[in-house]
Amino acid sequence: MTEALIVRSLSKAFAKPAVSDLDLTVHAGELYALLGPNGAGKTTTLRMVAGLTQPDRGEVSIFGVDARKEPAAAKALLAWAPDEAMIYDKLTPLEYLEFVAGLWNIEPTTAKARAEDLLSTLGLTAEARRRCEGFSRGMKQKVALAGALIHDPKLLILDEPLTGLDAAAARLVKDMLRARVEAGATVILTTHILEVAERMADRIGIIAGGRLLAEGTLDELRGKAGEAVGNASSGGTLEDIFLQLTAEAT
Amino acid sequence: MALFKPASTAWLLAHELRLAWRGAMSGRKGSAVGSLIALAVAGVALLALGLLLGLGLRGREIPIQPLTIVIVALALAVILTLMLSTTLAGAADALYVRGDLDLLFSSPLSPRKVLFVRALGLGVSALFWFLIPAVLLLTPSIVLGHPAWAGVFVVLIAAALTATGVGLLLAMVLFALIGPRRTRTVAQIMAALIGAAFFLGSQYRTLMGDKASESLFARIALDAREGRLQPPPLADLPLRAALGQPLPLLALVAVGVAIFLLAAWTLGRRFADATAATQGAETRKAAVGPGRAFAAGAFRATLRKELRLMGRDAALLSQVLLRVLYMLPLALVLARNAADQPAWMLAGGAAGVAFLAGQVAGSLIWITVSAEDTPDLLALSPTPVSVLNRAKLTAALIPVALLLVVPVAILAWFQPLAGFWTALGSGLTAWAAGMIGVWRQKPGKRADFRRRRGSSFLAALGEVVVTMLLSAATALAVAGWLTWAALPLIVAVALLMALRRTEEQIAAALRAAAVG
Repeated sequence: MTEALIVRSLSKAFAKPAVSDLDLTVHAGELYALLGPNGAGKTTTLRMVAGLTQPDRGEVSIFGVDARKEPAAAKALLAWAPDEAMIYDKLTPLEYLEFVAGLWNIEPTTAKARAEDLLSTLGLTAEARRRCEGFSRGMKQKVALAGALIHDPKLLILDEPLTGLDAAAARLVKDMLRARVEAGATVILTTHILEVAERMADRIGIIAGGRLLAEGTLDELRGKAGEAVGNASSGGTLEDIFLQLTAEAT
Repeated sequence: MALFKPASTAWLLAHELRLAWRGAMSGRKGSAVGSLIALAVAGVALLALGLLLGLGLRGREIPIQPLTIVIVALALAVILTLMLSTTLAGAADALYVRGDLDLLFSSPLSPRKVLFVRALGLGVSALFWFLIPAVLLLTPSIVLGHPAWAGVFVVLIAAALTATGVGLLLAMVLFALIGPRRTRTVAQIMAALIGAAFFLGSQYRTLMGDKASESLFARIALDAREGRLQPPPLADLPLRAALGQPLPLLALVAVGVAIFLLAAWTLGRRFADATAATQGAETRKAAVGPGRAFAAGAFRATLRKELRLMGRDAALLSQVLLRVLYMLPLALVLARNAADQPAWMLAGGAAGVAFLAGQVAGSLIWITVSAEDTPDLLALSPTPVSVLNRAKLTAALIPVALLLVVPVAILAWFQPLAGFWTALGSGLTAWAAGMIGVWRQKPGKRADFRRRRGSSFLAALGEVVVTMLLSAATALAVAGWLTWAALPLIVAVALLMALRRTEEQIAAALRAAAVG
């Protein structure tokens, strides 16, 4: 199986260790949810994968490209959408997408067609030529998501993608992410809404204190949680498993 | 804050002033303690000067005659316009940046009280920078036999109240005419124009073509000496009030209070409505039609994005406009001299043009490089940093080139060689200031544009020194002393080499700044 992301012994410390010897593998074409309590190291991990934070040590490989040695080649394959939308208030969505497409060197005609398509899918056609400064948080999130998708990334990393979205917009984004995965892309997302991970993710990783506590499908995680309490057939929701594993870690 | 009863006017005013103080101090390198020490040193110097003044004027009276009347009236007019420049921009901000007004209006406090205090806060902010120096300068004179001169302080308070009232009224008129969002842009530009009005006024003879050395103020002094000066009626009010005469003092205070109350109370409700209306207000009608084609490649896309953002930044536009205004008299002097004077007579003007070009480029590069809104997006992209920096530098230099077109074209028309050296020198100065901005970039926010120099002392100093050296080289080249021009040029190049950073060094400095 092709691996979209391989992380080995990734470590980063600020005032104290944020990520410690983290190993993580995400298969190509899957939707992977990275869960963890606040301060677990999720965002730091994803920022290191995206090349935004320099790791103290460790390896990051994106579709076989060593992200530390060939950052530009690795970045060409991925997109990153943080919880705070990276947009310009004084640009319109179309202008923003033009800029992002330029950064990824997408051919202008293709980029424009994709931009219009994305804005249409996200229900932003009417706002395409209005400046973003008057937009709600949800609309800004959608513009940022369109920016993340404009270069058709093979690996899409999303930090809390549903924050600030209303129910309809959240459904739209979830459907879009699913469609991307079905089309062959790989998605890694963090979320505090465990039901989202439970329903959407092919595999789930649980991280706490900068270490990966458990990883697998929901059933595999149930098994691991059961083993931990001496009951191999332990059931329960993802929330139960998450609370149990993170409580043990802390 | 704990001194005052919560929700009282004084309590709310203390809150406003604390925010204004922190706003003024934010973005400065070092702590507020450092700024306070600098202010204290300046204060002691002013007090010492005041003491000398007090001793010198001991036993003397200021005569009420045409010259003193006109000087005081003009000084008050200058102070009023500078205060108005501050209060107009502040009033527009109060309309536009409404995060805390949401909170205040949603509280049980009456909107009138909130607006009254906000208006008062604007007035106090405008007053602060005039009243404190005035107190330090005049207190020794007041103590040493001129107690009535305390009237100056009251005149300043009246001026601040007037400026606040007019600023609020102007903001309201703009709001009614052009809508909430554009009000901020236009108010910023108007504030800059008003601030520069007296500079231009003082240069009117230069602009009109008379002797450049004769300023408006020199002309007034000459007219007074020759008995031609006849101040208009009521022009003596400011002087009489400043000298402590009760009726003129009362009249000025009454005018100030009336205008302030008219703005703060009568328009209170309307102002609140205006503020509320900014929520969710559209910036403008959405453009229609197919739109232009997307830019090809990272360089062009970044260049286009930077030019768009610069064109939509009200504070930036007003600052650039200010520099254009300052360049105007210079350009006219150059034009006149170019027609009938030898090249060396143009040297000063050419140096001025080069210096301003460097200053504008330095400001714009800060906006494009240091004040990048989404540095993570750029860091995330596969585009090399060098391409992004090149695009940002180009974006910063394009407006400078447009500014230079007129003075350089005029020069080149009359004296092609002088035009060539001015173009070359100005271009080099602008490029050098831009490169320093790239090498010494430090993340900032667009909103901190006016305080950008406080964020990196070394970069600011380097920019000013290199700009001055290259301007000097330009002047010497225009004068025809090419050998001498090489001297400041070499020093400037040496300084540039010292300030230079590689991409790796820039990245390391940015990482250090992010951690710090």
